[in-house]
Amino acid sequence: MGGLKRKSSSSAKSVAKSKKKKKGPHLPNSILKVIADQKRPLNSDEEEEEDEIDSDDEHGGDLYEYEEGVPEEESRKNNRYDRHDNYDYELPDDFEDENVESEDDDFDGGNSENDDDDDDDRHTRMLQSLTGMPSAAFQGESKSKPVLFTEAYPEGEFNPTRDVLEGKNVLTEEDFLAPLEGKPGYHKTSKQIARMRKDTKHVVHAPLPKPQRERLERKAVIGLVDGEFSKWVHLVKKNREAPTVYFNQEVDLGYSTVGAIASEFQPRTEFEKKMASLLNDSEVSEAHRDDGARLLELNEVSMEDHIKKRDHIAKIRNLLFRHEAKSKRIKKIKSKTYHRLKNKDLKKSSLGALMDPEMAKEEAMRQEAKRVEERLTLKHRNTGKWAKRMVRLGLNAKYDATRAAIAEQLQMNANLSRKMHSMGDGSSSDESDDEEGLNDGSDEDTPSRLIAKAKEKTLKTMEDDEVPNAGLMSLPFMARAMKKKNEEANEEAKRALEEYEEWENSGGENSKKPVSVSGRRVFGATAKVEAPKESKKDSDNFYDNSDSDNDMAGVEDNDMEDVRDNASPARNTGTITETEFDDAAGNQASKTTFDVAMFASGSWKKMTSCKNTESKKESKKTRAPISQSQDKKGSRDEESEDSESEAEEMVDGVLASASKETFEIPSQAELINRAFAGDDVLDEFEKDKEEVLNQEVPKPEKPVLLPGWGDWSNVQRKRGISKRMVMEHEAEEKERKQKLKTRKDARLKHVIISEKVDKRAEKLHTTTLPFPHTSKEAFEHSMRMPIGPEFNPSTVVSELNRPEVVKKTGVIIKPVKFEEVNPNDEVDDEHPRNHQKQRSKKKTGKRQGKVKSK
Amino acid sequence: MEVALEDNNLMENILPPDEQEIDVELEAKEKKYLRGEGANLESLKDKKLKTQLASREKLYGKSAKAAAKIEKWLLPASAGYLETDGLEKTWRIKQTDIAKEVDILSSRNQYDIVLPDFGPYKLDFTASGRHMLAGGRKGHLALVDMMNMNLIREIHVRETVRDVAFLHNDQFFAAAQKKYAYIYGRDGTELHCLKERGPVARLRFLKNHFLLASVNKIGQLHYQDVTYGDMVASIRTGKGRTDVMEVNPYNGVVALGHSGGTVTMWKPTSQAPLVQMQCHPGPVSSVAFHPNGHLMATSGKERKVKIWDLRKFEEVQTIHGFHAKTLSFSQKGLLAAGTGSFVQVLGDGSGNYSRYMSHSMVKGYQVEKVMFRPYEDVLGIGHSMGWSSVLIPGSGEPNFDSWVANPFETSKQRREKEVHLLLDKLPPETIMLDPSKIGAMRPSRRKDKPTRGEIEAEKEVAVEAAKGVEMKKKTKGRNKPSKRTKKKKEMVENAKKTFPGEEQGNVAGKKRRIGEVDAAELPASLKRFARKN
Repeated sequence: MGGLKRKSSSSAKSVAKSKKKKKGPHLPNSILKVIADQKRPLNSDEEEEEDEIDSDDEHGGDLYEYEEGVPEEESRKNNRYDRHDNYDYELPDDFEDENVESEDDDFDGGNSENDDDDDDDRHTRMLQSLTGMPSAAFQGESKSKPVLFTEAYPEGEFNPTRDVLEGKNVLTEEDFLAPLEGKPGYHKTSKQIARMRKDTKHVVHAPLPKPQRERLERKAVIGLVDGEFSKWVHLVKKNREAPTVYFNQEVDLGYSTVGAIASEFQPRTEFEKKMASLLNDSEVSEAHRDDGARLLELNEVSMEDHIKKRDHIAKIRNLLFRHEAKSKRIKKIKSKTYHRLKNKDLKKSSLGALMDPEMAKEEAMRQEAKRVEERLTLKHRNTGKWAKRMVRLGLNAKYDATRAAIAEQLQMNANLSRKMHSMGDGSSSDESDDEEGLNDGSDEDTPSRLIAKAKEKTLKTMEDDEVPNAGLMSLPFMARAMKKKNEEANEEAKRALEEYEEWENSGGENSKKPVSVSGRRVFGATAKVEAPKESKKDSDNFYDNSDSDNDMAGVEDNDMEDVRDNASPARNTGTITETEFDDAAGNQASKTTFDVAMFASGSWKKMTSCKNTESKKESKKTRAPISQSQDKKGSRDEESEDSESEAEEMVDGVLASASKETFEIPSQAELINRAFAGDDVLDEFEKDKEEVLNQEVPKPEKPVLLPGWGDWSNVQRKRGISKRMVMEHEAEEKERKQKLKTRKDARLKHVIISEKVDKRAEKLHTTTLPFPHTSKEAFEHSMRMPIGPEFNPSTVVSELNRPEVVKKTGVIIKPVKFEEVNPNDEVDDEHPRNHQKQRSKKKTGKRQGKVKSK
Repeated sequence: MEVALEDNNLMENILPPDEQEIDVELEAKEKKYLRGEGANLESLKDKKLKTQLASREKLYGKSAKAAAKIEKWLLPASAGYLETDGLEKTWRIKQTDIAKEVDILSSRNQYDIVLPDFGPYKLDFTASGRHMLAGGRKGHLALVDMMNMNLIREIHVRETVRDVAFLHNDQFFAAAQKKYAYIYGRDGTELHCLKERGPVARLRFLKNHFLLASVNKIGQLHYQDVTYGDMVASIRTGKGRTDVMEVNPYNGVVALGHSGGTVTMWKPTSQAPLVQMQCHPGPVSSVAFHPNGHLMATSGKERKVKIWDLRKFEEVQTIHGFHAKTLSFSQKGLLAAGTGSFVQVLGDGSGNYSRYMSHSMVKGYQVEKVMFRPYEDVLGIGHSMGWSSVLIPGSGEPNFDSWVANPFETSKQRREKEVHLLLDKLPPETIMLDPSKIGAMRPSRRKDKPTRGEIEAEKEVAVEAAKGVEMKKKTKGRNKPSKRTKKKKEMVENAKKTFPGEEQGNVAGKKRRIGEVDAAELPASLKRFARKN
């Protein structure tokens, strides 16, 4: 199979056969380049190899050995074949093919050469004669050999040979250059190529795969961004940790005085420049400085100006005269029809509208309606049938009239849909208005300024009401109408001025308020002033009523009568206590009350002897604990003191009860009862506790069966209640015990603490932890301190209650500025010194040094 | 008065101010103003919250420090005290001895007013201590300005007066009289007759809540809001008649002492007592609360005075050997007890109350009521022959806070104060044992499902309601009795259906609970084997 010569089927313009490269197929340059680029940087060794090979080739190996690649099925190029493993014997790589003489080869080769030679010659000759180029140029082409196609499809730019695909035997520059050798410009290109090869600097490596490339990019970017951002970390951290962020830095509001503004004035427009040149004229200023004399000289009017003025006056007079003459003539016309028509015309015209305000209004309405209609329908925008047709047919270009009509329509549309401008026309005034608006916006006391401006404008309009002495307006009837209108306008202006003044006054009072002052507001303020008065009056009345005896007199009288009834003389003898205690005894027949009664009535004083002994016993008993705390002397003292006091009491008792004479000595049983009164009290308390516990933690019900159920037989009866029920009951009992154990009063025998939930008090607790908190304990501890002014020194109250963000109104919050921060610095709390001072000034003296004493 | 008492030669050995001592003092005060410790921030995971809380804590510390310094340096007066040397005992010092040593102004506070006719007198002071109200049992009411010893008003109601109490200021006072309680104005005009309460035995006014609490002869406790006159609560104590009643100034809880030796504590929003304590085996004769609300003193007829810690409800101290008819704590924590014609004042030296001073009156005077005058070192004693006033050095708070109580209040200030008080009035539900818990998390509450009995009852009610529904009279064909009964049955069934499946749910709950309990009850070593649900 080896040793087959092979020619490319591509129609590359080739040169002499001997110089032709016999390696691989000819591929389009673009593909070659790509392949080369891919291969070269990866394995430069291969390149060298290739070079060697190339040189070998150049040495004269003009034979090209066809290398059989992997079979189509194995290469799996297009997956056209099913996959299978190749079990054939494969030759080792270094295996050298022996050039075995084959008969086929010779046979074929000789045959074809002989056959084609004549044809080729003829063909080249023909070409030579046609093109006039040397025959050498065509010889290569003409040498067409029989071609062996080993590929399943013809080689082309989209179907490269296998070895190219495998990365072997790639075309190099030399391959392309070889055929050019000897041609003019060859050396130049070869040199260039050599140079290119030499300088490794400019070798453009193949780009990495996209994901890899992007990863690298991202890495680099991350590095950069991190570096950039880490600068800000401290700043951000500082801001984040600061309990309060301040945006109250001082803002430069600009000029405060007219003088300051004026000093900065720069003439810009033509007129201003002219004025400035005049004002700053050194001559004039000098004249001012010296004395007024030279001013007069400067004030001289030139002859030209004088003549111009005179001419102007003459012209105006002439016009006036003509107009008068004309009107006289018209006046003389007696035709009523003429006058009627004329009046009608006048009325219709805008002039008439000007004259008559009602007409003007109507006219304006009509105009407005038209405009609205236009804006709604867009009738005149050449959207009509006719216009469209005209445009389509190109008639508008053909006929001037059509074009004019269309233009007119457009114009009309423009006129009607244009935004109506206000009275202030002219761009310069608009501009100034805008500027003023801006200034106003930035200014603080906008309302007062607005008022001032309005006032100024009205004054100006009042002054400006001069009759123009030229043109149509100078005509007498026009003048009269104008005058009338002016008067009205003046009156209105005066009214407006008054209003402005009023506002200004009120505005001065509440100039602090940033909101514009409206009439209603003023009214509200007055109402406010009055309201407290009323309330005061009310309250006064109330107190008066309550104080006055008018209403109360009757009631009091009644009550007094009652009192008198109650306080009958029989009762008034000091037996109140007795009766009261009788009541008590009636209510409650317990021993204890009896005791109380006895104590109170002083009957116990009679049994001094027994009591004395008792008390002595007691004191003896109790001395031990006391002596622990006090020294012996003290205890003795105490004893004596006790006895002393006792004695005193006794005497007191005797003295006090001197008035009462009858009482009995209580019986022994009673005395014993009294002595042991406490015992059953304790029992009772225990019972009480039990009861309360049962109520709050109810006892589980005992498991019982319905009567008759499970009672049928002995067996059932023996079995008793089911195990499940018993278990449940036990569990409940356990639970109850657990609950009782966890109660607050579980260990306090003498105390019952109710654990009932007070539903009304539940609203005083939070059900959930407020947002940033996660632990109950931390939250409750943080809530323990009150932060109001009643509980804290005034120096700290403002700090305790400062909001998270302190911002002055109107301050523009700028983005964070980078500044070097020492990360170890504490958060600066003292920042807003000036701000705080202002605040504290208002409060000074009110609660200075005030602390709640609890 | 404390300032005057300082140049008393009984007190000597005043230590020169030492820097260290000042520091210690300041620290103690700071601690007081910190109102407890800050949270343990170490356990917090949220860094932001941690920094926030830390900065907050810092501010609190700053505030406390400033407050302590203000108290230390700016509060002018210091408390009075009584010091003895050698063998002298403070309780041996008589009023006559003190009178010699104190300034004239203070010595004017020692007096006896003898009013033998309308005997035993009850006393009450306003919060500022400026005014005193005396109510004689036999109907004598007197309003006295204590500053200049001026009798402002004196009226005679001609019936038994059992108790008197000032309302929020000296403008109004209430008196518990024979049949009803009455409210009078400062000038003695009767403003209201409180008939709803019945014959009132004791009256107390809760300043912060504007509630007039009273207990009547049949043991009913009433709370009436004096701002709008509504009866906030009327509670039947069920413990019988009592005339021992005191208000805990710290939390507004009312304590009643009963004949069975129990002290019960109440709030207006619950019908059951908050706390019941078995304090004495015999009847309780009086109760008093320390101004800080943590201590309670009770005295029983068995001649014992007990002091209780209300945070633990445990007895702190028992003072044997004397019976106190009336008890009173001073602002500085001295405890006065009166019996017969003898008054004893106990002071707490090193946590234990021991004798500090004593005063015995003329024989035959029966002490009815002792009460310390606020912001003064004065003890007022109401007795059967009028009232007396004695000096007890160190009893009163030396510095008044004009925002709390101002003895030198002008009428304008008083009016202002009244408005402030009304605005700061607390609703009755804020009365609880630990008011510092207000605003905290709601205490975890056990799920209280309706019991089976309750459900049954509800069901019954619903069924009854369904049965009682009047049927419409319908047209001829539809109005048959059979149809009507059918319809009615349906309705009843529907009513029953609204209480379905509770048994099933209960069983499931029980099962789960059983498992939990098992796990909880196992010893620690075996817990790992417990069934996990």
